[in-house]
This record gives sequence, structure tokens and C-alpha cells, in this order.
Amino acid sequence: MSLLINRRRFMAGAAAGTALMASPAILRAQAGPIRIGTLTPLTGSGGLYGPVMANVVKAVADEVNAAGGLLGRQVQIISEDDQTNAEAGVRAARKLIDVDKVNAILGTWASAVTTAVAPLCWENKVFLFTVSGADSITQLPHNGWLARTQPNTTLQGRKFAEFCLEVSGGKRAFFMMPQTPFTQSTFNNFKIAYDKVGGATELLIYDDKKPSLRTEVDQAMRYNADCIFVGGYLTDTTVLLRDLFRAGFKGKIVGPGYSINQKLVESVGQPEATEGAYGMLPSPQEGSNGWKKVADLTKQASPDPFSCQIYDHINLAIMAMAQARDASGQAIRDNVRAVSQGGGEKVDNAVDGLKAIAAGRKVDYDGASGPCDFTDLGDITDVKFRYEQVKAGKMALVRIA
Amino acid sequence: MVNYIIFILVVAGVYALLAQSLTLSWGLAGLVNLGLVGFFAIGAYASAMTTKWGGWPIPLGLLAATVLGLFTGFIVTISTLRLRDDYLAIVTLGFAEVVRLVASNEIWLTGGTDGIAGVPSIVPRAWGQGYHVTMLAIVSVLAIATCALVRHLAASPWGRALRAVREDQVVAAVAGKPVIRLKAQAFSIAAAIAALAGAIYGHYTSYVAPEIYQPLITIYVFLAVTAGGVGRPAGAFLGAYLLIGFLELTRFMAEIVPGVSPVQAAATREILVGLALILLLRLKPNGIMPERNQKAPPSTA
Repeated sequence: MSLLINRRRFMAGAAAGTALMASPAILRAQAGPIRIGTLTPLTGSGGLYGPVMANVVKAVADEVNAAGGLLGRQVQIISEDDQTNAEAGVRAARKLIDVDKVNAILGTWASAVTTAVAPLCWENKVFLFTVSGADSITQLPHNGWLARTQPNTTLQGRKFAEFCLEVSGGKRAFFMMPQTPFTQSTFNNFKIAYDKVGGATELLIYDDKKPSLRTEVDQAMRYNADCIFVGGYLTDTTVLLRDLFRAGFKGKIVGPGYSINQKLVESVGQPEATEGAYGMLPSPQEGSNGWKKVADLTKQASPDPFSCQIYDHINLAIMAMAQARDASGQAIRDNVRAVSQGGGEKVDNAVDGLKAIAAGRKVDYDGASGPCDFTDLGDITDVKFRYEQVKAGKMALVRIA
Repeated sequence: MVNYIIFILVVAGVYALLAQSLTLSWGLAGLVNLGLVGFFAIGAYASAMTTKWGGWPIPLGLLAATVLGLFTGFIVTISTLRLRDDYLAIVTLGFAEVVRLVASNEIWLTGGTDGIAGVPSIVPRAWGQGYHVTMLAIVSVLAIATCALVRHLAASPWGRALRAVREDQVVAAVAGKPVIRLKAQAFSIAAAIAALAGAIYGHYTSYVAPEIYQPLITIYVFLAVTAGGVGRPAGAFLGAYLLIGFLELTRFMAEIVPGVSPVQAAATREILVGLALILLLRLKPNGIMPERNQKAPPSTA
């Protein structure tokens, strides 16, 4: 029958496949647009954030293109999926670097993916912007080829503890978090702040894929804490809050805003279980132009932090290349701090920034995620936090500080 | 582009090694090993830890990985002696999860979720393209050699006995075949191959972390073996290259379609992978290269 695949037919198929793989490179080989890649999780456990992030970058590029492009060329965004998996992420990054010849990769989310992709970037002179929080990332030997907008855990751990102390009024906190690259260091910094005021705190690492966390909650109840810090992601925090409610926990609940938010209230489904819980996130001044812009692009009343951060990544990458008058990864590496900090005309988007740079003025970008000033290692120096509380099933702003 | 293709071929070579492992344990011995990625991880960690922290030369690290794979394979077999089919699948799946959880939580031993960055490479990375080409040569030679080895094993009397165990272990036992020993041998050798693949992959990408070793990789290898032909080493070899080639091709296919958002493209890729599997199983249920029955020797009577 004709369905039979013999060796010759297979070879023909394989040859056709190879040709298909090779052809886009030929089509793309002409000096055309300036290419920038996004490598966000479109599927897998980060799949909630990645698609929005990719769209934000695309929208910024469209605006820059509509306003005349960058260095007289169009900006082209190529979005790949890291599948929230380091192995798949490395393959996708290889494709972005070798086939698409991007100058920068934006938005790697999971710390493992970032750590796996980072060496490819610095070996190939591609700049990497990331939203991963693990302290170890900026300590890689990246030689300036990496910057991140997510505050590291030294800063976050202290801020978390200070807020827990404040809202609970007591000095016993229980710290629950799944195992991640930043669990131990966040807790260490959390503990320092509690130790300073003579308080007590204990860490419990749980498995975030368990369908019930009853035994963990029992342990938390035994500790008799006046405040529980829940440091997981949305899915496991949903389980945790339900079990805490069933166990009758009466103290305060504080957690990062990427898990304690409107989505959590909806997914828990029991208003009493989430009522009064606090969420806190690194935040810009609410109402900054960048923040409003991202809210607009993502159609979210209060945009998630990763969309805000990647909005800053693309703006910074574009302005750094304009500053250098050169479209390359090297240009971004050498000029990102020239456009992000050090005084000058305050700008909050690349279109304005490009105009100012063309007019020969020094710019200082303040973005959607914060002031975006980087240390030599690539960490951000300062960040404001946004504190919210669930009140009557809605997120209510407590303050931004 | 050239670098990318070389890289993909190296990854495919690693998958081909994993596919040989699965051919031996699942294809020939009938032991459904959903814990493949666990052995892959054990090999990666063994070699990364001994070479990066212990300062061992890399060949010794690779050897350590293989031996540790062999050993854990043996432990897993003797602890699952009475299990077959679904039950064995569940236990081995659990085994891989245990490996991943231990790697995440025993920070003193494995470095925890930070993983081990900067694993030494087999040849200097500074060679640039030469590095990738040399690695491609090493991985390809290893994959071909392993394929030849498994082929040889399959054709040997040992392989025939193994297939007898796969078809019906009671009958095999009645015929005087040492069922338990055969299973333990096949499973351990398969685990050693997977561990070796993990070690090579770790040295190649220079990064080892628990999050890499997710069940997704096991599933991909099952796909490769199913596509290539269960129980046929050459089929599994081909299947691995086809799978990785296809996974990467879908990137470009999704890009060609105009007006597709990145998330739709990602979803389209997954649809294409599923569709390809369904079509393959409809049209070639035994894979592209089905297992061949060995002819009985001509009667001498």
C-alpha cells in the first residue's frame, strides 16, 4: 500500500524537513530589522504570566516602529517558549541566538531556566534581562551580560519581615515556603529582622505539588504564631490558605503579591479563608506612566509585576542601543546603565527616550517596575513595595512605600 | 544557524542514548520505566559533583555516573521484583520524583534548587564552534556505539531470553530462564545508559539543577521510542533524532503561520506534537521500524 514508508521515501522527507529548517535563515539573512527575543514561559507552571509578558514586549516594539523605529530600522520581536523547563529553555535560547540572531533575550522567569540560559548569552554576546529572583543568578560569572529587575532576596526577606512585625503586632512568625532557589536566603534575611527585635520565627519547607497541606498546617498551628508568611505560588497558596482556614488559624497571613491577589481570592472560593490576608510586591509608584501603560496593554486593573518588568526590559534595551548608535548585544551591555540611571531627563518609555537621545540629551529611565537603577552585578538598587489586603473579597491598597 | 543545528544534533544524540536505555528496559524486557529521568538526573549529578567539587578527571566522572546508574538500577529492580506493567510504571515514576525532591532539598549534598552551575566541560568551551563539533562527534559516536551494543544484546541468546520474559515470564521461568536475574540485568544496564546520557548532557550544558529533570523528558523519550519502533534499537535511535527534529521544526512551522500570537504558537506546537503521535500510531502502530521476529533456525531433521 502507499502508506508504507520505505527508506527512500523517508530520506526524501528528511531532506525536505532539513530544507524547511534551513530556509528561514536564508530569508532572514538580509540586513533588516533589529531582532530582540523574548523567552517567557508560555506553557508549564509559568504559563499564566508568559503570554502577557510576550504581548507587552510586542506592543512596545510596535509603538517604537510606528514612531520611526530604532536607528532607522524596525524592531522585530521573536517570542519563544521556555516551557518553564531548563532543557526546553536552552533549546529555545539556542534557536533565538543562532537562528534569529537576537541581540537580547528578555524575560526569563524561572530561576533554573535563567541559570541555564545565561552562559549561552554571555558566550554569544547576547544581553539577558531576567525577572528571576534567586540571589545566585547575579553571582554567576556573567561579566555584565545580565541584569534583572526583580529585587534579590536580601532586600525582599527584610521587607517581608518588617511588614509581618508591623501588621501582627506580635513577635512569633511561621514561615512556609516550597523549596526554591531563594527559599533559604529569603528566610535567612527574614530571620535577621525578627532576631533584631527579639522575636522568634521558624521555617517550614513544603512540597508545592501536594493536594493537601494539612500536616504542614498542623505544624504551623503548634508553633502558635501570630503571623504566618506564605511564600508559595498561586496554586499551592490556594491549598495552604484553605487548610489554614479549616484549621481555624486566627493570626495574620502575609505573602508575596504574585500569589496573594485577586486570582487567589477567586481560586480559593471561600471568602472567609482569604479575608484579611496581605499581599506585598515590589512596586513602582502606582500611577506612574509606565505602570499605567502596562495596565493598558495588559488590560489588567493592576498589572502583574512580571509584565511591568519586561516592559522595562524592552524599553531599556531599545534605548541602550540608540545611545550606542549600534544595534548589538555589546551596545546594550555597555550602555544599559547610561540610560537607566545617573540623572538626566526622566523618561518612562522608549519613544520619548529615543527622541531625547537623538537630541543629544542624557536620559534616566524610570519604568513600570521601579526606578530601574542597576548595581555593577546587575541587581536593582532600590525598589518600592506595594502592600494590599483582601477586604470583602477585593484587593484593597494599604500603601506603597 | 550552523551552531544551532549542531546543538540540536547533540541534544538529539543525548535523547538517542536515553531511547536506547528505554529500548532495553521497556522494549526488550517489558519493564515500563517511567523513572527514566531519575536515572538521567542521577548520572548528571554524580558526574557534576565528582568533577566540579571532587576535582576528578571527567572520564572518571562519567564512569562514576555509569556505575552509580547501574547500582541504583539494581536497587530499583530488587525493590520492585513483584511489580509489572502499571504498578511498575507508578513506582518508577515515584522514583524519579524522589530523586528530584532529594536533589532539591538535600542542599548540603546537591546544592539544592540553585543547582550546580559551571560544570566542567569535556573539551574546552573556548574552542567555540570547535567545542560543539567535538561534542557532537563524541555524543554521536557514543549513541551509535550504544545502539550497536543494545542490538548485539538483543540478538544474543540473552536477548532472546529477555524477550521471552517480556512476553510471558511464567513460561520463561518454566523453560528454565532466570527471570529475576534477567530483569535485574536489563534494568540495571538500561539505568546505566540513562545515567551516562545525563552525565554527558550535564557536562555539555554546564548546568545541573533539579528542575531540569521533569517527567516531560521521560515522556519525550517514550514518544521517540514509540515513533521509532518499540524493541528495535535502530528504531529508537532514529526515533530520537526524528523527535527532536520534529520538536524544533514545529517552532518554524508555527512562525510561518501569520497572525499567530506567541502563546497560540506555543499551543500549536503542542497540538502538532500530539497530532503527529496520533497519526503515527494510526498509520504505523508498531513505529517506523517495527521489531523484527528472529527466524527460527532451519530444521536440521
